[in-house]
Amino acid sequence: MKSTLSRVLAIICIAVPLHAGAQVSNPFEGDARAIRAGERLYANRCAACHGADGKGATGPDVTMLWLEGTNDEAVFDTIREGVDGAVMPPSFAPDEELWAMVAYLRDISTVPPFDAGDGDAEIGREIFAANCLECHRVNGAGGTLGPDLSNIAAVRSREALIGSIRDPSAAMELGYRTVTLVAANGERIEGVVKGEDAFSIQVVDTDARLQGYLKASLRRFVHEDESLMPRFGRLRLSERELDDLLAFLAMLRVDASAAH
Amino acid sequence: MSMRSVFAIAAGFVLTATAPGVLLAQSEPSDEGDAIPFARSAPSEIVPGDPSDPGVSYADILRGFDDQASWLTFSGDYSGRRHSPLTQIDRENVYRLAPAWTFQTGTLTRGRGFETTPLLYDGVLYVTGSNNYAWALDARTGRPFWTYQRDLPDNLTYGRNAPVNRGFGMLGNRLFMVTLDAHLLAFDRRTGDVLWDVVLADYEIGHAATLAPLVIDDKVIVGISGGEYPTRGFIDAYDPATGDLVWRFYTIPDWGEPGSETWPNEEAAMQGGGGTWMTGSYDPELDLLYWGTGNPNPDYYGASRLGDNLYTAAIVAVEGATGELKWHYQFTPHDIHDWDSNHVPVQAELTIDGEERRVVMVANRNGFFYVLDRSNGELILAEPFTDTTWAREIGADGRPIVVNNDGSGGCLPDQWGGTNFMPPTYDPALELFFVNARETCSSYVPFEPEYVRGEATMGGVVWTDRDAEYGALRAIDVMTGERRWEFRYPSATMAGVMSTAAGLVFAGDHQGNFMAFDGATGENLWYYPTGSRIWGAAAMTYMLDGRQFIVIPSGTTLVAFALPHYEFASPAGAVIGR
Repeated sequence: MKSTLSRVLAIICIAVPLHAGAQVSNPFEGDARAIRAGERLYANRCAACHGADGKGATGPDVTMLWLEGTNDEAVFDTIREGVDGAVMPPSFAPDEELWAMVAYLRDISTVPPFDAGDGDAEIGREIFAANCLECHRVNGAGGTLGPDLSNIAAVRSREALIGSIRDPSAAMELGYRTVTLVAANGERIEGVVKGEDAFSIQVVDTDARLQGYLKASLRRFVHEDESLMPRFGRLRLSERELDDLLAFLAMLRVDASAAH
Repeated sequence: MSMRSVFAIAAGFVLTATAPGVLLAQSEPSDEGDAIPFARSAPSEIVPGDPSDPGVSYADILRGFDDQASWLTFSGDYSGRRHSPLTQIDRENVYRLAPAWTFQTGTLTRGRGFETTPLLYDGVLYVTGSNNYAWALDARTGRPFWTYQRDLPDNLTYGRNAPVNRGFGMLGNRLFMVTLDAHLLAFDRRTGDVLWDVVLADYEIGHAATLAPLVIDDKVIVGISGGEYPTRGFIDAYDPATGDLVWRFYTIPDWGEPGSETWPNEEAAMQGGGGTWMTGSYDPELDLLYWGTGNPNPDYYGASRLGDNLYTAAIVAVEGATGELKWHYQFTPHDIHDWDSNHVPVQAELTIDGEERRVVMVANRNGFFYVLDRSNGELILAEPFTDTTWAREIGADGRPIVVNNDGSGGCLPDQWGGTNFMPPTYDPALELFFVNARETCSSYVPFEPEYVRGEATMGGVVWTDRDAEYGALRAIDVMTGERRWEFRYPSATMAGVMSTAAGLVFAGDHQGNFMAFDGATGENLWYYPTGSRIWGAAAMTYMLDGRQFIVIPSGTTLVAFALPHYEFASPAGAVIGR
């Protein structure tokens, strides 16, 4: 039985010839049929490690590759060659199948352009310095307890960011989940979990101290449902101030692209 | 082909055709081939040209754990229990267990784990590794005598996704190992030289071979991987002296034979999967091999293969002499979750309702623990050992009462299952079966797969809620199926389990801990962070120079543990230490 996929790919190949001499680009870029084909190939060959949604399992998240500055050719080469010294194997599949997977990955990596809104970024900078900088870094300055936000407008939509600011506990990223420990001497420690096994837990506490604890030495430890980040409701942060803050975060992205 | 095997061919090997089971390269008989005292001969028999040691006999393997300084077959003996009689390391002193040596393999397993069980004979560990490496190691120090590396083709199929190997089989002075390009090799254990090399199946359509061969009387039994591809599984028996195929049992019957009516058409059946990629167990008195069979193919898309799909996701009892099917029991009829039943079937003798029963036990990927009469396949007990929502129970007819087959009614075990191929263990004194259980939460979205030669046909996507998963070592009462105790890990593990007559259970986890537990209570008595997840492997143990060693593969290393020397070897109270 001749595969439908092969036929589709063959037709696309004829329709979109590669341009000799130019930088290699994906002949299937944005092609809906190829993206669907790539999705199935991805499910077969990649999802076991990178997750069915590409968000990572034992392998890394592959939904932010372009946002992190890669290009089609580099992703193609990684799939073709595998990763030396890592568990990712090389692929010997035909070029068109690899390009279809690249088209799919690029499709799921595309976040709609961040809507900067009409806030005042300079006021937003002051709001950030007063409320966020203690825990979050931007462009090398700030605290280490929370995630670095220098590139956040490139990888999150405006709606998602508003959700994270208004209700941080709704979705806590791995590596930023809250734990409360009570040591044998009664000392209470709050922090985020960086690692855990049956016997020990690795924590960054609210003083940004990295410390591992043997569970047997603790009086108790509790995984909290609440994020260490406070809720910024409307009384704490008005709609106007939220707009200003988002304008500041959007500007960081512009700054970063200009730097590149 | 490696330098070593190229040299061997130049030295007098002959190449022939490459059909399944046909000899690819064979040594001239003058070497030692036919003269070697395989099986039946008394261990004391000396063979001309072989200066002293006739090596391992079938009788030696039959004696199993009687010789405490050997481990001659994958599970330690034919029963599949992985339960050692050694007691030097016990509940009182195990907290002092310490690394004795580490062997660095230097080969990385892409995507999987270091899954082997070493064999031990005469102070030497024979170890297979990922990417078809192999070594002979000094069992006292971990230092190598020889290293083998197969030169593999660059267009492997399943073997590219799972470049693993689970161990050698052994008979006489020969070692047997299967390869990722689906060959079976015989080695001279003294040199690592390849003596013969036969093709099991065509790797280019999806086959590979990863299991430890099981040697029985004058036969090397192997199975095949590749059920993620449109292939047809089988169990093979080979002549240890020549590599000739003795018999083949297909896990999917020929069209028109009994069982084939559980497939809609011949095309679906002949590419219906049913791999046999995990080493079975053997009852020498009944001459029955117990072997698990893998998922039907396509894995998640069942519409093209309506019916029960025999004998996939089942256990088959096959006569060692003939390869004929004696009985079968299908755990998961018409599986659509990639729930292979490739487990080590664990044998026990139980008194049930006042009657002595020879049983075989399986904790299955589908989340149920089964006890079957191993003489006739009669189902004695089936109880869930995970919080599965796939089936409510196993009905009186032996079939599951399915309540949620696609995840639409809540979580199902993920495609790695409620447990997997990692060996469980059984302690007959406690009548407890120990298994690393996986609690996961998935739903399945099938689609019709494309058939491309050499490509997998999974036929769907699995969505898993990783936040909901955890793992647990569980002790199951084999008389009732009840959970006696559990020890939880933060994530679902793929590590195996071993027990000893000291009442200890040794297990691994996905965070890399190698651990000892009190089998009766589940109390954790000792652990050691190895630094890499323990995946697919279970421990083995042996006595050497009066010292008990416990060996576990982890990541790219093989680590041996023992009590410090001064614990048992200090003359007149002097601490000689390490």
